[in-house]
Amino acid sequence: MEWASQLCENRHIGSKMTDSKYFTTTKKGEIFELKAELNSDKKEKKKEAVKKVIASMTVGKDVSALFPDVVNCMQTDNLELKKLVYLYLMNYAKSQPDMAIMAVNTFVKDCEDPNPLIRALAVRTMGCIRVDKITEYLCEPLRKCLKDEDPYVRKTAAVCVAKLHDINAQLVEDQGFLDTLKDLISDSNPMVVANAVAALSEIAESHPNSNLLDLNPQSINKLLTALNECTEWGQIFILDCLANYTPRDDRESQSICERVTPRLSHANSAVVLSAVKVLMKFMEMLPKDLDYYGTLLKKLAPPLVTLLSAEPELQYVALRNINLIVQKRPEILKHEMKVFFVKYNDPIYVKLEKLDIMIRLASQANIAQVLAELKEYATEVDVDFVRKAVRAIGRCAIKVEQSAERCVSTLLDLIQTKVNYVVQEAIVVIKDIFRKYPNKYESVIATLCENLDSLDEPEARAAMIWIVGEYAERIDNADELLESFLEGFHDESTQVQLQLLTAIVKLFLKKPTETQELVQQVLSLATQDSDNPDLRDRGYIYWRLLSTDPVAAKEVVLAEKPLISEETDLIEPTLLEELICHIGTLASVYHKPPSAFVEGSRGVQHRRLPARAGSGESSESPDVGQPVGAVPDTPPAVIPSQGDLLGDLLNLDLAPPTSSAPTVTPSMQMGAMDLLGGGLDSLLGGDIAGSPAMGAGLASAPVVMPASLGAPVSSGLDDLFDLGGGVGMPTGAFVVPKTIWLPAMKAKGLEISGTFARRAGVIQMELSLTNKAMSVMTDFAIQFNRNSFGLAPAGPLQVLTPLSPNQTTEISLPLSNVGPVMKMEPLNNLQVAVKNNIDVFYFSCQYPISILFVEEGKMERQVFLATWKDIPNDNETQYQIKDCHLNSDAATTRLQSSNIFTIAKRTVEGQDMLYQSIKLTNGIWVLVELRVQTGSPNYMLSVKCRAPEVAQLVYQCYEMVLKN
Amino acid sequence: MISQVFILTSKGDHLIYKDFRGEAGVDAISAFYESVTALSGDQPPVVMTHKGMHFIHVRQGGLYWVASTKTNASPFTIIEFLNRLTALTKDYCGTLSEKSVRANFALIYELLDEMVDYGYIQTTSTDILKNFIQTEAESSKPFSLFDLSNVGLFGAETQQDKVAPSAAASRPIMANRGEQGGKNEIFVDVIERLAMVIGSNGIIMKADIEGEIRVKCYLPNCSEMRIGLNEELSIGKSQLRGYGSAVRVDECSFHQAVKLDEFDTYRIIKVCPSQGEQTVMQYQVCDDLPCAPPFRLFPSVERDSGNRLLMYLKLRCDLPPKSAAINVSITVPVPKGSVSLSQELSSPDQRAELQPKSKAVLWEIPRFPGGSQLAALFKLEVPGLSSASLLEVGPVSMCFELPKHTCTGLQIRFLRLTPTQPGLSQRWVRYVTHSDSYTIRV
Repeated sequence: MEWASQLCENRHIGSKMTDSKYFTTTKKGEIFELKAELNSDKKEKKKEAVKKVIASMTVGKDVSALFPDVVNCMQTDNLELKKLVYLYLMNYAKSQPDMAIMAVNTFVKDCEDPNPLIRALAVRTMGCIRVDKITEYLCEPLRKCLKDEDPYVRKTAAVCVAKLHDINAQLVEDQGFLDTLKDLISDSNPMVVANAVAALSEIAESHPNSNLLDLNPQSINKLLTALNECTEWGQIFILDCLANYTPRDDRESQSICERVTPRLSHANSAVVLSAVKVLMKFMEMLPKDLDYYGTLLKKLAPPLVTLLSAEPELQYVALRNINLIVQKRPEILKHEMKVFFVKYNDPIYVKLEKLDIMIRLASQANIAQVLAELKEYATEVDVDFVRKAVRAIGRCAIKVEQSAERCVSTLLDLIQTKVNYVVQEAIVVIKDIFRKYPNKYESVIATLCENLDSLDEPEARAAMIWIVGEYAERIDNADELLESFLEGFHDESTQVQLQLLTAIVKLFLKKPTETQELVQQVLSLATQDSDNPDLRDRGYIYWRLLSTDPVAAKEVVLAEKPLISEETDLIEPTLLEELICHIGTLASVYHKPPSAFVEGSRGVQHRRLPARAGSGESSESPDVGQPVGAVPDTPPAVIPSQGDLLGDLLNLDLAPPTSSAPTVTPSMQMGAMDLLGGGLDSLLGGDIAGSPAMGAGLASAPVVMPASLGAPVSSGLDDLFDLGGGVGMPTGAFVVPKTIWLPAMKAKGLEISGTFARRAGVIQMELSLTNKAMSVMTDFAIQFNRNSFGLAPAGPLQVLTPLSPNQTTEISLPLSNVGPVMKMEPLNNLQVAVKNNIDVFYFSCQYPISILFVEEGKMERQVFLATWKDIPNDNETQYQIKDCHLNSDAATTRLQSSNIFTIAKRTVEGQDMLYQSIKLTNGIWVLVELRVQTGSPNYMLSVKCRAPEVAQLVYQCYEMVLKN
Repeated sequence: MISQVFILTSKGDHLIYKDFRGEAGVDAISAFYESVTALSGDQPPVVMTHKGMHFIHVRQGGLYWVASTKTNASPFTIIEFLNRLTALTKDYCGTLSEKSVRANFALIYELLDEMVDYGYIQTTSTDILKNFIQTEAESSKPFSLFDLSNVGLFGAETQQDKVAPSAAASRPIMANRGEQGGKNEIFVDVIERLAMVIGSNGIIMKADIEGEIRVKCYLPNCSEMRIGLNEELSIGKSQLRGYGSAVRVDECSFHQAVKLDEFDTYRIIKVCPSQGEQTVMQYQVCDDLPCAPPFRLFPSVERDSGNRLLMYLKLRCDLPPKSAAINVSITVPVPKGSVSLSQELSSPDQRAELQPKSKAVLWEIPRFPGGSQLAALFKLEVPGLSSASLLEVGPVSMCFELPKHTCTGLQIRFLRLTPTQPGLSQRWVRYVTHSDSYTIRV
């Protein structure tokens, strides 16, 4: 340190008085006293006075009035006094800009001083005086100082450029200081390099595109060289700068990593973390099969472990970072589970973070150890920690399937302690375990129910209610249990109310006979007595669902729930990538991107990890795959947090809104009891027509989901086909032209015409709605009556915009065939209700049976033969089709497009015999023999079917297909 | 980038306020103080945010040492910096307290000015700083040899009060300048912290030792110091030197001024110590401990016919007979419903009490010689005692100090100074092991 040695003589013996006295309370007139002392001739007295002034300044007293007097003390050769005066100047110059000018001369003079310490002091202080007028005077001295022979002055000047840039960016650019600063990156003194890098990095952040820090292999090399020589703080600047560089290829990446790795053993944790950041980023580019990649992974673990032996403040910050690293590359710390075990004297915030990381690292290999720890934690004193430990046991069960049983028994042990908050947490997590492993651990329900009375927290109550509702059929007194909650319904929190409503509806659907009163009670509580819109809406939805279509209600409410994901609280992958680029910074502690908490332009650029070089796998996050049983290709879905889980659960109950549930809402003026009564009847099988219907509906329940989910997708496709159909696709199935089903005069101005078609395996009801009234029509909905083949709308009637007068809209409504069944007369009759804002209208129409012919209707020859023989001859019906001029081949093709499949053809004495099969949506097979006499326009049709009623319709269908 | 640095007393009085970047006003101090005092127990106090300002602080010497920033700065950098600032303040002012900071505010301002420029940390090394610092330290009390009387504590943090100034550091490093009182002394402390979890079956479930070699130097000009460690010291899991009872550490890191050219062969650390206190080497050992755990507990817990819980604890100290543990305290969590305690202890200098707030029995033993065994019987009155209450007993945690003992067996063979110091230069080497977290499960 060349500048240092010559300065030693500047030291002198200070006063023997203690500075504390300066803090004694000021009395009136103190300012005058100070003024006098400041103007004293004695240096010692002056210095004491300035100290007093600064003491007052520190405690927040306004001593700005002394500005001129203090500035007068500036011209001194006493360095200690000079420093004190400068301290004062920096604080008050801003509020006294005119006075500050008085100091300029001294500054300029000091910048020429032979003593480098004074030169540096002057340039440092001038930069801190944020007064515009001063900056003009600063330029010349600064230019000289940037080229000063003493590195101490140069490094101070480098920082001063950043200061000046903040005050007047234009000036800095005009004066060419940025170029000088760039030159300083190649300075011989590492401290100067470090400060230049720091200053340039900061300036570059406010000019994102300026390319100020022109990082290229040469400059990187310079930085790496300086890295080994400069102080720990300088190393941090350089490493942070390196982290912004993107190497050209994996080899450059590796060579930088090799030169950065020694920093990992530095005693300063900030250096270590900056190095970890560089390595985590550049590692992304290394091929994973490279030996060096493995070496690097091994080298990253020890420094991270070492951080955990630091004081709690650093430990906490380190744990937040490790949490990110573990999510990105769990393999780094997979063998280090033990270091995350909590110590009894860790502060609670450290304990909680450790717990979180323990769960992330839990795997089949270490689960026994982890569980043993967690069980210990669950008996500790700190309530928050105990709660989280209990939750952690549940998370282990969900994450590591092999441990689930042990986790459940551990939780049961804990419930036995009857410690209130332990029991409640245990119940909340057991609910999650039930979600993950349905029908496996229900034996514990009895134990849970014993603790019903002790639950006083909403989350635990809601979880318990969910369990009771979900397993209502196995809990004998489920109705009593739920009823007991119902008493104080309005005092419960919303989540409990919602859960109670759902649970009772579930119970009702499972045990309809005994629980009618209960369900009516809860529905009326939710809809009539509650002000909460969520609760009311859900109540109404259930109510309508139960009253209009109990079968659908069952399908919706008791639908199979998707399994919950094994990892919770995962950070969303793109955010994780960005946070990895910000390791060691505040962002990594908050787990938020810098743009979320840094004002202004700084740090707003989103950083991304570089792509892996030379491989096609792009930048997909490579190691998200968990040690155990994870599917690497599909990153686990993110469950926001434990707290929201319940909310999700609740929503799941309502998740399939597009299912086959009819969406017509009966008009509200109908008595509520009636509505419910109807629903009840059909559920209880009291309605004779309803009972087979229900059976059919239930039997087909498992197929509901796929069918209805498929519908909206394929309907989109069908719209495409529709276009083609308009042009006249030769091979398309025949579609009857639209006919008017509902004349406008019968429906207050709404005219509906329509037809049916089968497109790509989906039955479509094609409707034209025309508004012939004078007012706009909105709120369309449609519902079918029960019908012979269980047709029902697969989705709501989607009229996107209100229908203006004289406007027509074309709608394709996909239909499913899983609705309630009732034999109609004629068989293909369909009764439809359409609702709009004006009224509900009813009409009936008939659909061609061909829409029910499925694509898989081609029978094996052998089967055909056997079936044909098997069906009694009584069931055979014969028809004659007249005036058909197609030959047998053309007929085959045309019939085929309507899913009538020709299995065999025989020619006997100039007569073609076509054997054909048809399968209906409800699984009924229709076998047909079609005789075509060459040269005769008349065909003979023999239809054989176990359900002879359809024969007539099949005949009509042949007529239509062959003649059009 | 650091925007401001300030030091506050626990009551919120401003001791030091330094603004580096002019980004925020003095009101940041009160904003900080409000947030820090409003924190509830389970919120991490390390990083706090208020209106775009982020505060990072450490507590040392009963004071808040705070840095604020407006950028996405590194909390590691700032915490390390604040720790260095406290260490330097201690080095320069002798002790770390409200009194010493008040007395030396001009010195601390000067230090801050040299340490940080425009929020960029410049240096924290005493060697460099001593060239710039003009202000003399004000020692709050004159240095006296009596302060050194308590050799057992000196240089090392105690378990009870981690921020207590070590006696060795209770005089300013520069005080010998122009004054007669200073002595040419150098202290080398080997301090180990032992964390251990022992299962109910007596098996060690987890053990680790964090150790450091700390040097406190009062020599004005010491060009090089050579510290010789055990020659058979091995580093890493696989490496083995010599036979039998090798001293082993898993990892170690060194101060950046340490030269290691003789370390690999002779286990000699070479360092040119700056004046003041520094940690020259840190090391740690996980899992495989070279020694037996210092304490073994044999508990038996049962309920008598009534509402009484009987705990019979037998504690054995497995240190070598020449050593002893001091300030041993044992904390046994007991059922929440416990109302009173009666005890039978084996000697009058021991004490035991039921802590009403945390519901734990605290048993204190001032001195516990190696190889001996102590027993205690605790009878607790627990209304409504149930078998589940028994589960609430434990785990037992212990605090203690083991003077003149290192668990790793690390020793300093020699301490040589070159050039040989003229006149009085005293060299002190001390060892101490503290319990960091010593838990025995019941």
